Amino acid sequence: MNIRLLKVIRDITSDYAKNLMLVLAIAIGVFGIGSILGAYSVLTREMSSNYLGTNPASATLETESEISRGLLDSVRQFPGIQEAERHATVSARMKVGDKWYPMLLFVIDDFASKKTNQVSHLTGSTTPATGEMLVERTALVVMQANEGDEIGVKTSNGEPAPLKISGTVHDAGLAPAWQEQAGYGYITLSTLHYLGESQGFDQLRIVVSENALSREAITAKAGELSDWLEARGIKVHEIQVPPPGKHPHQSQMRAVLTIFTTFSFLILVLGSILVATSVATLMVKQVRQIGVMKTIGATSLQITMMYVLMIVMICVVALALAIPLSRVAAAAFYQQIAVLLNLELADRSVPLWVPLLQIGSGIVIPLLAAALPVLRGSFISVRSALDNYGVKAAQTRQGALNFISRLSFISESFKLSVRNVFRLHSRLMMTVGLLATGGAMFMTALNVADAWDDNLKRIYQQRLYDLDVKLNERIKPDTILETLRSMPGVTAAEGWDYSATSVVRETSRQVSHTYPDKAHGSFTLLALPPGSKLLDPTLVEGMWLSGKAKNEIVLNQLARSGVKIGDSVKLAVEGKITAWKVTGFCEDVGSGAAAYVSIDDFSRVNHSIGMVKMLRVAYSDRSRDFAYAKNREIEVLLESKKVSVSSSLPVWLLHNAVAAHMKVLVNSLMAMALLMAVVGTLGLTSTMSMSIMERTREIGVMRAIGGTPGKIRSIVVYEGLLIGMISIVIAFILALILSSWMGEFIGNMAFRTPLSLTISVTAFVLWILIILVGSFAAAYFPARRASRLTTREALAYE
Amino acid sequence: MNEHHKILIRLTGVTKSFMVGSGRFSALKNVDLEIRKGQMVSITGKSGSGKSTLLNIITGIDKTTEGSVSVNGVRIDKLSESDLASWRGKNIGVVFQFFQLIPTLTIAENVMLPMDFCNTYPRSDRRKRALSILQSVDIIEQADKFPSSLSGGQQQRAAIARALANDPSIIIADEPTGNLDSNTATSIFELFASLARSGKTVIVVTHEREFSSYFEQCISIADGVIAAGTSVNV
Repeated sequence: MNIRLLKVIRDITSDYAKNLMLVLAIAIGVFGIGSILGAYSVLTREMSSNYLGTNPASATLETESEISRGLLDSVRQFPGIQEAERHATVSARMKVGDKWYPMLLFVIDDFASKKTNQVSHLTGSTTPATGEMLVERTALVVMQANEGDEIGVKTSNGEPAPLKISGTVHDAGLAPAWQEQAGYGYITLSTLHYLGESQGFDQLRIVVSENALSREAITAKAGELSDWLEARGIKVHEIQVPPPGKHPHQSQMRAVLTIFTTFSFLILVLGSILVATSVATLMVKQVRQIGVMKTIGATSLQITMMYVLMIVMICVVALALAIPLSRVAAAAFYQQIAVLLNLELADRSVPLWVPLLQIGSGIVIPLLAAALPVLRGSFISVRSALDNYGVKAAQTRQGALNFISRLSFISESFKLSVRNVFRLHSRLMMTVGLLATGGAMFMTALNVADAWDDNLKRIYQQRLYDLDVKLNERIKPDTILETLRSMPGVTAAEGWDYSATSVVRETSRQVSHTYPDKAHGSFTLLALPPGSKLLDPTLVEGMWLSGKAKNEIVLNQLARSGVKIGDSVKLAVEGKITAWKVTGFCEDVGSGAAAYVSIDDFSRVNHSIGMVKMLRVAYSDRSRDFAYAKNREIEVLLESKKVSVSSSLPVWLLHNAVAAHMKVLVNSLMAMALLMAVVGTLGLTSTMSMSIMERTREIGVMRAIGGTPGKIRSIVVYEGLLIGMISIVIAFILALILSSWMGEFIGNMAFRTPLSLTISVTAFVLWILIILVGSFAAAYFPARRASRLTTREALAYE
Repeated sequence: MNEHHKILIRLTGVTKSFMVGSGRFSALKNVDLEIRKGQMVSITGKSGSGKSTLLNIITGIDKTTEGSVSVNGVRIDKLSESDLASWRGKNIGVVFQFFQLIPTLTIAENVMLPMDFCNTYPRSDRRKRALSILQSVDIIEQADKFPSSLSGGQQQRAAIARALANDPSIIIADEPTGNLDSNTATSIFELFASLARSGKTVIVVTHEREFSSYFEQCISIADGVIAAGTSVNV
């Protein structure tokens, strides 16, 4: 074998503990990159193919009258329409145990040849008979039922009736039912009539044949079709154009995975800095060997190549470890996200570019990081190499620290520790940089997780009610509200109103971005009584509804696109175009796009004065158990008063649904924090042992002039602690900047509102503990080893 | 003058200065020196006299500030660092006071290393050559051991074997016996003498007067100036 190669291998194996640490440091970064990008690539591909595989409707036209089969056939001949189908979506409620949950019923015209928003049949019957339904696979958990069971379902106009679950389907276009805390059922029109509804198909789903990914083109075509329909007496009151070709959760998923990819690369960079510091240690240790090798004929290039080869070999071992493990982790990660996004993974193969990128980054980044120490060590002159005795006096410039000498209350050994810390500026910067970056990322991960938690709490802070009841019909609320307010445990009850709405721009028709689940992309107009005590909005600009002027409106962050305070916006409300003056903008947590208006203005434009379509009730006890019991009581009361309820949503349910959306993010941030702690501690251990090893001869001198092993240990331990403390301060400042940026990024990508900057005390205290214990251990053990050398051994150390 | 006694090393007007805290310091001052092929030469002098600098100039480890250095007809003061390394590996064998064997290579591998760096012998022949050199310095049985398991004398023999790896015409040793007992030191000087007899030029920095009989030329240096350059038995 080539002698140089042999030397490289022996050098690696002779200090296997340290080199194993380097392998680990690189492996963690490469593992992170592979796991995240592996999952990212599979999910992006599968999300797109799952969603597009359903042949999602380009637009849904909601009509005010029934669409006949003959009309449908004509629509199919309309220029630019590739596919058309009639449909109906009905909001209902289902009874699980003694509680009612929201439910969406999708009324399918022809189960056998469904052309748009297709579902995959999984089990049971393919076409449910009257009185039966197929259920989205993720809804069984919410329903607490199995195939063959019966579930009580109540539509707006009907009485509760049992529906048998005759089979299951997978609908890739819907978020999991458990995430939305709702049920999804697929029924025939005859079943809808069996449930007491008389309506027919009032939705027309179309797929355009040209410019299928252009929202403008789709909107224009849907507008044309609406005009054509209206000319035939079919009034279209809303056109829904969801983001073309995009799964409802695509933006959130991209945001989350982008963050993790960034984190993984940072971990690899940190690991590489660790490699750089360790290679620098090795070069220091081998500087005399380098001198000798050059003396016996080695060129600087040959020396460089030996150390490059050494780093490459360490990287290769790290890659061999990390790549297969990252595949396993990627699989676990994409499977978990697939469950969260209700995806069916048809192809689980990770594309070749992922391992290639892992190999590239796992070798190139450590090499780049170690380039400086390798080149400095390899190109050292023979004379300097042979004369090397460790730290150079010339590098010790500490004029700024001279004041320490005058501080008589500080022990000499502590003064020496302080001076040693600042002895090599480049080393100090590298060590502190490594620790501070690790700490900053650790704290950032936990800060963002905490910020997310705080954001979730805002759901309760903004919503001062505990139950939101939507009604099928507007009612005069006075008596009901009086009764509700008199119930024990109820602190307030208010009558509100609401309507699905959309901004009217180029056409006079209502065009929304709503997905077929009627939740994602929807825009709701909420009408509240003046002086409402059940809402504490977070106003970010302008002012709240004053009640002094007519048609004031406040938009939340998802509804404000491009609008300024004082602008007039036109909204389509239940088929009527109304103008509103924007007075303010607020931030909502856990809502879709929403706008707030006074119920007086709303009822005037809607001709529903004195009527409400929504009840909001607050309890004295906001716990989930209390809400369970009280919600039931209220539902019984409403039933007894013959008030037809469309949906009843407890705030805790909303809180859980929002929390479920970001569960993976929070868990993964925690995992990242843990990895950062590991890499940071490895870095500290490495640099401290390097620093001590370099000064072994110096330790010998101290021993020779009377330094006891204990004294020497304490000098080194002080050094470690000082470095650790400096890094904590910098890490904290960096964490503030990073947390603010990341909170803004995650918040904006997920909900278009930045997460507030939150400082996790737990993270700060934990990091201080990790650093203090780590610094102590990292300094103590090498110091103990060095102080155990005899004075003669230490003085002869090379 | 026969081939055996032709001038191998010639220093003309060599000055070597360093910048130190107190200003410019000249370690060598206008040194003229000639060393003939096949001679065993000693360099002596007090600590700081300039003897190590002189060795560094001859080996090309240090560059001159002024003057020229010619070794075997090559102006080494004109060579680049890279050419110097290769030239040194082929033409000069260096023996250090503390042996400086590579601890992670066996003795035979240490001897093969200069051949590897300078690509001087076919790869398949290198071990055979290394064993043959180790045989000549009497440590063949240590060939596959690591340096740490050898005595000081054995390590120095291994270091001499490594210096001979590329069959250089010059062997330079910096206090090679400074770390050895007197019996071992004697055996090392015997080895150097035999190398000189075989035609190698051996230059040794030493403080040990009891070995002066081995040298054909003694160069004494003081304050950067050659105080005496006596040739014995030329």
